[in-house]
Amino acid sequence: MSLKNFSELFIDLDSSNSTNNKIEVLKNYFLSNDPIDNSWAIYLLTGKNNKRFISGRYLKNLFSQIYEYPEWLIDTCYLKVGDSAEVITLLLKNKSTSRKKKLSNISLNELLSKTIPDLSKLNEEEKNLQIKNIWETLPEDNHLIFNKILTGTFRVGVSIGLITKSISKLINIDEEIISHRLMGNFEPSIDSYEFLINKNINLQELNSKPFPFLLANTFEDKILKHSINDFQFEWKYDGIRIQLIKRSGNVSLWTRGQELVNESFPELVEKMLDIKDDFVLDGELLVWNFKEQIAFDFSLLQKRINRKSPTRSIQIKYPIIFIGYDLIEINGRDIREIKLENRRIELEKYFSKWQIKTKNNISDIFKICDLIFPKDWADVLIYKEKSRENNTEGLLIKKKTSIYSSGRKKGIWWKYKVDPMQLDAVLIYAKGGSGRRAGLYTDYSFALWKDKELIKFASAYSGLTNIEIKELDKWIRKNTIEKFGPVRSLKPEMVFEISFEKIQISKRHKSGIAVRFPRITKWRKDKNINDADSLENAYELMKKMS
Amino acid sequence: MRTKQEYLIRYKDGNLYCELADIWIDPSKPVKKALITHAHFDHFTFGCDEYISTEETAILLKERFGDNIKIKTFEYGEEFKINGINISFHPSGHILGSSQIRFIFAEEKWLISGDFKLQKDETCKQYEIVKTDYLISECTFGLPIFKWDDSNKIANDISKWITNSPEKTSLLFCYSLGKAQRLLNEISQTNFKGDIYSHGSINKMNNIYKKLGIDIKDTIKIENKKKIDELKGSLILLPPSLSKGSYLKNFKNIQTAFASGWMSIRALRKRSGYDKGFPISDHADWDGILELVKKSEAKNVFFHHGDSEALSKFLIEKESINVLFFGK
Repeated sequence: MSLKNFSELFIDLDSSNSTNNKIEVLKNYFLSNDPIDNSWAIYLLTGKNNKRFISGRYLKNLFSQIYEYPEWLIDTCYLKVGDSAEVITLLLKNKSTSRKKKLSNISLNELLSKTIPDLSKLNEEEKNLQIKNIWETLPEDNHLIFNKILTGTFRVGVSIGLITKSISKLINIDEEIISHRLMGNFEPSIDSYEFLINKNINLQELNSKPFPFLLANTFEDKILKHSINDFQFEWKYDGIRIQLIKRSGNVSLWTRGQELVNESFPELVEKMLDIKDDFVLDGELLVWNFKEQIAFDFSLLQKRINRKSPTRSIQIKYPIIFIGYDLIEINGRDIREIKLENRRIELEKYFSKWQIKTKNNISDIFKICDLIFPKDWADVLIYKEKSRENNTEGLLIKKKTSIYSSGRKKGIWWKYKVDPMQLDAVLIYAKGGSGRRAGLYTDYSFALWKDKELIKFASAYSGLTNIEIKELDKWIRKNTIEKFGPVRSLKPEMVFEISFEKIQISKRHKSGIAVRFPRITKWRKDKNINDADSLENAYELMKKMS
Repeated sequence: MRTKQEYLIRYKDGNLYCELADIWIDPSKPVKKALITHAHFDHFTFGCDEYISTEETAILLKERFGDNIKIKTFEYGEEFKINGINISFHPSGHILGSSQIRFIFAEEKWLISGDFKLQKDETCKQYEIVKTDYLISECTFGLPIFKWDDSNKIANDISKWITNSPEKTSLLFCYSLGKAQRLLNEISQTNFKGDIYSHGSINKMNNIYKKLGIDIKDTIKIENKKKIDELKGSLILLPPSLSKGSYLKNFKNIQTAFASGWMSIRALRKRSGYDKGFPISDHADWDGILELVKKSEAKNVFFHHGDSEALSKFLIEKESINVLFFGK
């Protein structure tokens, strides 16, 4: 039961691209280690609150000081590796000559509950000495884990979902139950692990179980053959899909990724408890602009998603709303087999009742989605184009007679998204990436023409394939005009098609415009820089859209 | 100090060139006379009037590029004269037949390291220490984050990787000349006793190695790639070029790995798209390069083939070695 096992687990998880394989590896780890080490492993892997004991910079300085190593050399190495803990691990190789490794058998529990926390009790000098001591008495295979935990950068491609799946497999109990048990703060202890693998399910756990989500397909032209009256039309909101469950006095908010997010949205949970009925709703969670009655950008929602127990001021700054669009269970009765049009009637009926029957006004956090009534298919197109104005992604088209089945079922629900806006722009700057993209130029800036000058208008780093990234990296190195720190200015030669979702006036930018979600959608090798768009084109686009 | 033009060997059009002998080293375009350090693709170009190399390199070159190239061969250590310059090949430990090249003119010694490594490799001659005044060294892995493990440790890791997944076919990607044979030699000394298959291009090189008396394990040539899925528990060696494109698409029951020095860095490993990376290289690591510089007793050092900025600065600051730059 040692740290060594956990290091091996890390390597196995890190060197596997297969979900099934990872689940198997995790299951075997849990089977062959102590409950207490298992609970620490879960704590680390779910990364719920990886604390930083010392910074990466501190780690580098310390190494430089102990081993009389030039700092600039460590920094050069960092550019290639992209992670301080790993750089130091690689540099530590063969540094200690002592053969006897006192810490060979240290357990994960001892390291995390004693050795590392104890560091904070020491003064700087003692602390440095102790870290050196650990480096030299810990087997080299464990250095990476130690350094990563120390710098709070322990991360591996394992989600809570994967932990959930492997525990579920281990004890043969549904994933939703395990998800529920993993909800909240996971405090590593023997008890918390035993609770997780308890084979007896209690009633409350059963009550929180969600239904499988029904997913929409991409719009198909063949729908046009059908009468418009066969369908229900809704705005497609750009938020998080949520199944909101209230049963026997408990509320659960489930995402499509089978994550319980109650803790991120406590105000919604609280308000829903006011409702007397039990129910399961399908809908979208958004940060809402109450003044204009439209959704805020998804970026604001991101400020809420990853924040457990948000403070009152965060709740006010980023006010959320749940927009329900389907009712699939009511007072213990599963109504998924009822036609959509009838479920809609039920939804509207109950919603009006709840609005009257609750003490506090629920509609400041819960609404049901408005329906749209296009006259014909041409009208549908017009609605679709309008969706930018109310910050939606387009339309959802649902067959009125459809039942609520599961998965991406064909022929019943479609999403009809607006096309992104696009401009062809010239690559002018590149910056090195970090982490997985270390050592490559992967952050790009693009420019548009203004008279004879190229003016920067957007930065993007996604959209190219790995092969294209490598090819472009090579080109960048050969076509650099000047280096400013990590940034290179480049010979204007390469043209890229940049797509984005929104364009607006911005005083902060030299170009006078700002775009949202810019991304590279095509490397226009067929175009030369004179074919790239001008700022004027961008202004025209903006006019057209407003 | 001399100007760049006065060095015995200098860069010309991106290649190493000795004007006095009118001879090029591993040129990338056709010239009259070319010295070839070893038989990898990136050190050879067609169309030179005459090539000069070791016997093994000549055999490998002819096998890879055809019989109708004119190659003059010399033994390791055998001196030959061109325009009054004494030239000789010395083992560089990179692959079979690979060499360092020494030039002596007017009592001044120059050494071109060629691609080299100091680590153990039973499939080629051990690197030989050659004293010199001027050293031109490769520095592919010229950063201290590169420190190789013993090759038998890596071979044991590979063996474990295969035997831990008996339900899968293990595909190990590696360069077909040199790396593949070294791995075969090492893997045959591990606990893995299953079948080893190899791609045609690797098999061809294996046969030459064997013909030249190198002891490597027999492998079965992959004749029908469709069968790969069925070769559970076996190891298959493939050239890296096959990892891209459609070759792998139809297999379900496989795990993949890449054997290369770059695999010691996690970001590169993740980006490579292979399940696993085994850091093993036929180039010198940081310590290897430093050792070469030291043992060659060179007073002046040049670097090529790699980012040499950090390495040069380190040698100048910490070791007081005179590092020179060719310029382009």
